[in-house]
Amino acid sequence: MKLLLRTLKVLLLGLFLVVALGPLYWVIVTSLKGGQEIYTFPIRYWPSEVTFENYKYLFRISDFSIYFKNSLLISLLASAGALLISVFSGYALSRIRSRRPKLILLLGMYFTQIIPTYMLMSPLFISLAKIGMTDSLIAITFVYVSMMIAFSTIMAKSFFDRIPVALEEVAMTDGCTRTQTIVKVVLPLTLPGLAAIFSFAFVNIWNELFLAVMLLSSNHNMTVPVALNSFISKAGVNWGVLSAGIVVALLPTMLVFAFAQRYIIMGLTEGAVKG
Amino acid sequence: MLKRSLLMLVVLTLLVSATVSANTITLNFLEVMTSPERTALLRDLIAEYEAMNPSIKINLISPPYEQADQKATLMLNTNQDLDLIEIRDYSVKQFVNNKKLTDLTPYYEAWSEAETLTPVAIAAAKTVDDTPYWVPQAIFIKALYARTDVLAEYGITEMPETVEELIEICRQITDPSKNQYGFAWRGKGATMKFGDLFASVCVDDVANSEFIYSEDETFFLDPGFKQGMEAYITLFKEGTPPDGINWGFNEQVNGFVSGTTPFLIQDPDAIPLINNLLGEDKYEVVPLPVGPHDFTLIDYGFCGMGIPSYSKHKEEAWNFIQWISSAEKNGYFNEHWGPLPVHRTTFDINEHFQGKHYQAYRYEMANPDTFLLKTYPLASAKWPGWDVVYETDVQSVLLGRMTLDQMLQKWTDYWTK
Amino acid sequence: MREQSARYFFLIMIPAFVLLTLFLYYPIIQGTVIAFQKYTLFDMTNTPFIGFDNFKAIFTDINFNFGQIMLNTLIWVCVSLALQFVLGFILALLMQKPFRGRGIYSSLVFYPWALSGFAIGLVWAWIFNGQFGLVNDILLRLGLISNPVGFLSNPSYAMASVIVANIWYGVPFFAIMLLAALQSVPAELMEAGKIDGAGPLRRLFSITIPYIKPTIISTTLLRTMWIMNFPDIIYAMTGGGPSNSTNILATQMINKILKFYDYGQGSAFGVVIMVLLFTYALLYLRLTSGKEETF
Repeated sequence: MKLLLRTLKVLLLGLFLVVALGPLYWVIVTSLKGGQEIYTFPIRYWPSEVTFENYKYLFRISDFSIYFKNSLLISLLASAGALLISVFSGYALSRIRSRRPKLILLLGMYFTQIIPTYMLMSPLFISLAKIGMTDSLIAITFVYVSMMIAFSTIMAKSFFDRIPVALEEVAMTDGCTRTQTIVKVVLPLTLPGLAAIFSFAFVNIWNELFLAVMLLSSNHNMTVPVALNSFISKAGVNWGVLSAGIVVALLPTMLVFAFAQRYIIMGLTEGAVKG
Repeated sequence: MLKRSLLMLVVLTLLVSATVSANTITLNFLEVMTSPERTALLRDLIAEYEAMNPSIKINLISPPYEQADQKATLMLNTNQDLDLIEIRDYSVKQFVNNKKLTDLTPYYEAWSEAETLTPVAIAAAKTVDDTPYWVPQAIFIKALYARTDVLAEYGITEMPETVEELIEICRQITDPSKNQYGFAWRGKGATMKFGDLFASVCVDDVANSEFIYSEDETFFLDPGFKQGMEAYITLFKEGTPPDGINWGFNEQVNGFVSGTTPFLIQDPDAIPLINNLLGEDKYEVVPLPVGPHDFTLIDYGFCGMGIPSYSKHKEEAWNFIQWISSAEKNGYFNEHWGPLPVHRTTFDINEHFQGKHYQAYRYEMANPDTFLLKTYPLASAKWPGWDVVYETDVQSVLLGRMTLDQMLQKWTDYWTK
Repeated sequence: MREQSARYFFLIMIPAFVLLTLFLYYPIIQGTVIAFQKYTLFDMTNTPFIGFDNFKAIFTDINFNFGQIMLNTLIWVCVSLALQFVLGFILALLMQKPFRGRGIYSSLVFYPWALSGFAIGLVWAWIFNGQFGLVNDILLRLGLISNPVGFLSNPSYAMASVIVANIWYGVPFFAIMLLAALQSVPAELMEAGKIDGAGPLRRLFSITIPYIKPTIISTTLLRTMWIMNFPDIIYAMTGGGPSNSTNILATQMINKILKFYDYGQGSAFGVVIMVLLFTYALLYLRLTSGKEETF
């Protein structure tokens, strides 16, 4: 019986993996195919001739390395910014005791999630245009931080909720200021949560397309999703190069993700809370 | 002594470069028909121009094609620094309405090459208020592509000259069990440009009207139009893969390249792509088949360059436009991009456009009595959403969710409401 | 002490709210105002207030039946959410106990969440392609069908196809969040359950789920809002078609803005979305609140 369950478990895990990886395999294979081979039927699951011309094209004709650098910079800065701000606002939301203000503030956070981004496009552009910041990496970083604050705060709050207030009170009677307590006592216990927040923010910002198109103009300011989208033109989709672009664009997010989720599944250690 | 003269030289160089950079004018250029190859092409041309004019620098802004019109509109309407703006048929009226384009009439008068522009190009330039607000750069018109090798297997060696013949051949060779169909249907995006080649051509007083849809209030209810639509629908049901209801440019080309749909109607910018995927010899490009009244409609899509009304560097901007719109440069540009150049003379001097696949297009432009040059009512407020309405409604009819009569009445209401 | 704490808490929330006000609250108010104006790109020099006309227009639009759009939205959100959650939960449960290679496994199985919506839409559109698609190829080879199926061209299948893509995308989110929550269930509680004789399923429903209820509630609420406001996959796969069958509120909003150049009506759709989500959030939290503090 146990063996049956175990085999079932392995099978299911395997199924999830195959379904998850299937499309990725497909994208990788397409990126290695030459122009003429992409549209054949029946489908070839492995290129008859592996070619790197799509990748060469990516870095030669389009300035992909510049876009990559921009995306990396913006994503890292904005995620770090969002994390920093949300640690404090999440902590505050967790520790505030008066029900009314807590509810209002929390709803204020949730409220931002119901906003459709497209509605912001025109007002944001016009406001930024008035101060001449419509082609600025700095401005868009601020916008991205703002977009991420709500989710990050909500998640941070839930992680802080699990740390007993007792721990902090002990530290503070020992002479620490509240800020010191947060940094030295509370944060180390929530590392997995912080890793989760950072990686979610990073992925969201890295993949954001629409605001990047509207709020950035010059070629040297462009980000990766915008570059990928530019492989769609009047003459349709350039599948070979787009696939190559998707593969390259996926690498940083996969790395950040892989790195962060190790912390996430290690989970919070109950040990520190005992006694 | 040496040190002193060296110092002087350095100071002099600094002074000179300072004055030069102080006098450098930067022009901001927004393109909208963006694609990586085209952007690279533009950059090459810009670099060439900058080398010839060291005091001018051109900053090319290239948002992705799908969002470019939005970006252009937002930038123009907030008076962002722009000196050169690319305009296309869809956005024309809007920019003029919002008073964002400079009237280029005086510039045209001083331009020597203005007279070698093809009639199509001139018509395009004057689309709004019969005034040239921009200089056209490329012309998109349709022709019929045919897979001669695939058709030969079915014993078809004569290319169809009428719409009826085309539909007939497609029905003949269609065999779903062998995954063989006839026509590469356009189901998504600018679908009316294809449908109207079957429907509008059946209404004979379109020949005398200004647009592809006559101003007659009962245009869509005309029995000729209905017949044409019925034929078009038959083509779908008996000559096209059912999946075609969703096909965009990519799928059309795929179908053509794979041989599943050996007939394709497309703009000339498909030629480089098809050559790349298929090679030059397996297909032919022939003029569009005509309708029952012996004419067909050439809707000329176009894109061009204009100068924002608030630009501070109009003279410099015009100089660039003049240069890039010359027969030679324009020819070079379109040769590598695909669509048709705007000067008559280019066809004579540029070898590429003498190639066999372009002859159909030249033939169409040279015979305006059969291939009527007409466009859509781009200046109407009803125009912007028409694309989506047409597409959704045709899909509904093909899926049996709406009857043809209902659709035609709906369209009449849309335009006359 | 408590006074000082309260002040400290409110103080450290200031940066967050300053940014939110500048870049979200203020622009959204401006955006909402547009919903009550005649605001088309065609003529931006003329934007008078027209009251509720935009709303009337979108409710009675004969080209895009509002009822159909609402139905599509409902199906899209409910089915996507339910299946993502269940599958994500199953995956989290499967991964709960450490096993060899779990680290690498999780790096691989979670990656769909790292892709952009637009890339997912395009890739899955290609996979479901009615002529050259992967799914058709596999089904044909397995002999399950004799002719390729037009997944995206048949209204009956189109919605199912976009939902599949959405589920593929969303499972990692739930799996990760629920896995983290599962790790926090104290071992003693589980032990106590076992000693009491509760079988695994019983333990799951009586101990585990109630314990992680706050996480379940917040993740499902958030994900619902995101699914509603995340039309990228649908837009890239079908554009809302064929024949309005996959058009949801958010995709129609994009349509109005990008194709019809009508910001007024587009914003009206946005307002409808916000009102719906707001009401939903209130009701949802009210219903799931109970006596415990779920915040």
